[in-house]
Amino acid sequence: MMSDQFRSKVEQYSPKSSPRGARSPVVSRQDSTGTLKTTISLGKNPSIVHSGPFYLMKEPPGESELTGARNLMAYYGLEHSYSKFSGKKLKEQLSSFLPNLPGIIDTPGDQDNSSLRSVIEKPPIGGKELLPLTSVQLAGFRLHPGPLPEQYRYINQAPQRKHKNKHKRHKHKPGEVPSGQETTVTDIGGADTHEKKHKKQKRHDEEKEARKKRKKEKKRKKQKHSPEHSGGLTPSQHSNS
Amino acid sequence: MTSRQNSEKLVNQMETFIENVRQINIMVCNFQPQAQHILNRKIQNIVTDLQVINNLKDSVKDMRIPVEVLKYVDAGQNPHLFTKDCIDKAMIKNQELKGKIDSYKKFKANMLLEINKYFPKEVEKYRAIRNDNNDD
Repeated sequence: MMSDQFRSKVEQYSPKSSPRGARSPVVSRQDSTGTLKTTISLGKNPSIVHSGPFYLMKEPPGESELTGARNLMAYYGLEHSYSKFSGKKLKEQLSSFLPNLPGIIDTPGDQDNSSLRSVIEKPPIGGKELLPLTSVQLAGFRLHPGPLPEQYRYINQAPQRKHKNKHKRHKHKPGEVPSGQETTVTDIGGADTHEKKHKKQKRHDEEKEARKKRKKEKKRKKQKHSPEHSGGLTPSQHSNS
Repeated sequence: MTSRQNSEKLVNQMETFIENVRQINIMVCNFQPQAQHILNRKIQNIVTDLQVINNLKDSVKDMRIPVEVLKYVDAGQNPHLFTKDCIDKAMIKNQELKGKIDSYKKFKANMLLEINKYFPKEVEKYRAIRNDNNDD
């Protein structure tokens, strides 16, 4: 009932068609050529701005001080952080971030229910005051002497860290081929360091051989001057010549 | 006390706690009867450390940590990887935006140049309206 009354009242005041056609009665129009040269902005403060001789010309957006044209790393003083992280390759393990933390921490937290997300999802029961244990309560911690059973020792294991391969045991002779076990171990660790060591070893061997050759030549020279010298070439000299 | 100092204090306290637990672990692995007294003292130390940590929790309440960082930690990964990722993404976005802005500036300059060839009067008017005397 109420709504019908309201509708009938509104219909009385609101014309179904404007007496001036589609034109707004508020704006006086000097230009009758059909080109609109004004900008009408609505909102809290409606305004009509004459924008000149250009059709659809708008005011440019206000220039903000900070845009993507500026080096934002420099603007916020983060260049140091950028150079710190972009330059070197980061170690991916959590243990490299927390090197002093004992135990194995590189495994996913879901495996042993130690994830931080679970702390958020299921917050621990708190609010109780923490009090020192009484002597009666401490009696519960009286332990039997002796080592811990095998199944509880896993926590005690230190995290396995990748040691840099120190090939101190590379004492094989120049002609010898290193054993298979040794090569596999070095392959796991770092092939580059192994190669370097080999190169060093090679250089060392070459020097030895050169020294030997020099000694041999000296001997030969001595023999040449000695009366026993026959003057013939050795097989190795043949092959060289 | 600043938030940085608060967090450092909390970290130090947690390290003390962890070290205490580690020592208990070593003692318990091969327990000697004469070590019972020391063990009891260390257990009391654990309670004291937890009390201190509990008291420090309010001092770091305003500290905000992205949830994504927790994902990295839970996966056993270095959380610095998250920082690196964020910095890389920000840098790429910054460069992209700079490229776009430069391109639009060049476009505007070229367009005005070309229009000026055919409509010099209009360009002059346009520049007068815009107070734009440059070519860019």
